[in-house]
Amino acid sequence: MDIIKLSDTIQEEIINRCIDTLNSGGLVVYPTETCYGIAADPTSQKAVDKLLNYKKKREGKAISVAVSDKKMAKEYVEINEIAENIYNNYLPGPITVVSKSKGKVVKKVEADDGTLGIRIPKYSLILELIKQFGKPITATSANESYKKTPYTVKNILDNISKKQQNLIDLIIDAGKLPKNKPSTVINTTLNEIKILREGDVNLKSPKTFISKSERETKRLANELLKNINIGKKPIIFALQGELGTGKTQFTKGLAKSLGIKQNIRSPTFFLVREYNIKEKNLKFLHLDTYRMFEQEEFVDLGFENMIKQPNIIVIEWAEKVSKILREIKDSVELIWIKFEYQGKNTRKIKYSNEIL
Amino acid sequence: MKILAVDTSCDETSASVCENDRVLSNIISSQVDLHKKWRGVVPIIAKRAHQERINPVIELALKRARVKVDDIDIFAVTIGPGLAIALEVGIKKIKELSIKYKKPLVLVNHMEGHVYSNLVKNSKGNYYNNLKKIEFPILCVLVSGGHTEMVLMKDHGNYEILGQTLDDAVGEAFDKVARPLMLGYPGGPIIEEFAKRGNHERFKLPIPMQRRNDYNFSYSGLKTECVVRLKKLKKELNKNFTNIVPDFCASFQKTVSDSILFKVKKVVKKYKPKQVLLGGGVIANNYIKREFRKEMKKLNVNTIVPSKKLCGDNAMMIGVCAYYKIKKKEFVKNLEKVDRLPNLQIDQKVGY
Repeated sequence: MDIIKLSDTIQEEIINRCIDTLNSGGLVVYPTETCYGIAADPTSQKAVDKLLNYKKKREGKAISVAVSDKKMAKEYVEINEIAENIYNNYLPGPITVVSKSKGKVVKKVEADDGTLGIRIPKYSLILELIKQFGKPITATSANESYKKTPYTVKNILDNISKKQQNLIDLIIDAGKLPKNKPSTVINTTLNEIKILREGDVNLKSPKTFISKSERETKRLANELLKNINIGKKPIIFALQGELGTGKTQFTKGLAKSLGIKQNIRSPTFFLVREYNIKEKNLKFLHLDTYRMFEQEEFVDLGFENMIKQPNIIVIEWAEKVSKILREIKDSVELIWIKFEYQGKNTRKIKYSNEIL
Repeated sequence: MKILAVDTSCDETSASVCENDRVLSNIISSQVDLHKKWRGVVPIIAKRAHQERINPVIELALKRARVKVDDIDIFAVTIGPGLAIALEVGIKKIKELSIKYKKPLVLVNHMEGHVYSNLVKNSKGNYYNNLKKIEFPILCVLVSGGHTEMVLMKDHGNYEILGQTLDDAVGEAFDKVARPLMLGYPGGPIIEEFAKRGNHERFKLPIPMQRRNDYNFSYSGLKTECVVRLKKLKKELNKNFTNIVPDFCASFQKTVSDSILFKVKKVVKKYKPKQVLLGGGVIANNYIKREFRKEMKKLNVNTIVPSKKLCGDNAMMIGVCAYYKIKKKEFVKNLEKVDRLPNLQIDQKVGY
């Protein structure tokens, strides 16, 4: 392990030594605007294995990488509109942006769901290093997992074993770093709806209702419910529509018509909220897939059990689980409802037995 | 007395060893290493992740506290509220340990845990925050991704819910408004960041529930208002992001803060609590914390805030809450029957 002092070494030499170390699969401890990080070549299996060896227990956590600019980021991840905004307005800086990985880094660097966290450090030496290296470097903090965030080289060395010390090839010592918070992690992949529509969709002439108020939206819920035979099959209201278009109001309307006195609160956080329909000895289940990534997660929620009884189920952001709903559509009463914004209080609500 | 506490109520797997109300160790899988924390922030349905992590997290908590599982006198676990399938994992594990080592089990309400996050002491026996002495009645204001409620605490374990959200929780409102602002997830930290450079006077947003006489909250109306406003600003937003976003974030954050304080002030005037205790992930927001302190000072009430690392979900607050339950001998009698209570309220008794 070599330590070079930032203050008495010329930049060119530091960068050359870092690049040599990285190219031979080694580990480099380096300063950033937040804390000391540890760099390995994220495209080299050997280097990543060495890094994981150093960091110890990870329990499947991913490792973010640092790039020099948006252009380099684009080679490694898919940058959507949201990510674009953050890159253009906030980077370089202490933010890690999570996007869908293009698979160019070693698997263990990515998260289980195929995303990759990218950051552009606000530290000119490191930006220059990455630029000259021509690819990203890992941007994990230089401590062992679950240990203190390091702001001095002593912080690091005092808290690791001899064996770990031997894994470090090079340290760039910039002295004591200002105690800035670790970077904020922003996931930009959550708003992408993966499975929108598959195959041919027969619209079977959907009906349209123009609602001019929350009350009218609730009334529509009541009307729809009246025309369905409750207690025979599970009834699923599959709701589609952007934020603030009336999905929750519609659900409140359904609950009221079913004689549920409790207040219907948002299920976004807990993914499902359960209410009893006393008269009928059935359940009213309010589900939200807003925060889900994969359709399997929906199965994990116990969806199969929910449809064993003729319960009444409302699913918000249902297009995310359209595949599962299509598979079961013959054994349930499935109503797709789409909410569209038209004006301050006006909403266009379409409904049909097929996805809209 | 050594307590091993586990919390798997949402997307963090956490275990902690406490000696009475002092923390010997606390492990949170996914939050400690903030650089890569996105696995924790986004709840890929937590069950599988919890199952993978629960054993190593408990092992690490024991190792850090330098104790063996045989040394543990009492086991504690979060029974609810939370994500049903996530709660399940921690409960199952702790039940097994309690049976295997023949030691009593204590069940903790997660929201009660947030209250007790203010009463956690470090290994030297000092509180992490500005708490000096506990004086009842206490007004607890709990604000997180899943909850927004005001609870009057008359004594340890004695709660009355004065008001709560009728629809979205505050944390959720932040996440949802971040969406039309194109800011990604989670919304809280990034809105706070942008708000720092923004002018909160620019967008006048309506403070929800001002005309109602009760102490409840509601955020779906404000959310819709934001969506509608941003729709109109869409063109400008695309063209000149920095002209809109910081000001909008600042305005939104101020409106949310005002709306909470509006109700809290009402309650303080009516119930005259000796102290106001804050808890929950949203309390990590510095602006809200500052406004709270300022406004409560005007009313001559001391505001107690958990240290930042205790705002999020963690098992140390569960361990410390368990300690107070142990003092009252609230142990599980019917171990076989213990089952998750995802919709548990803070004033509800757990009857196992």
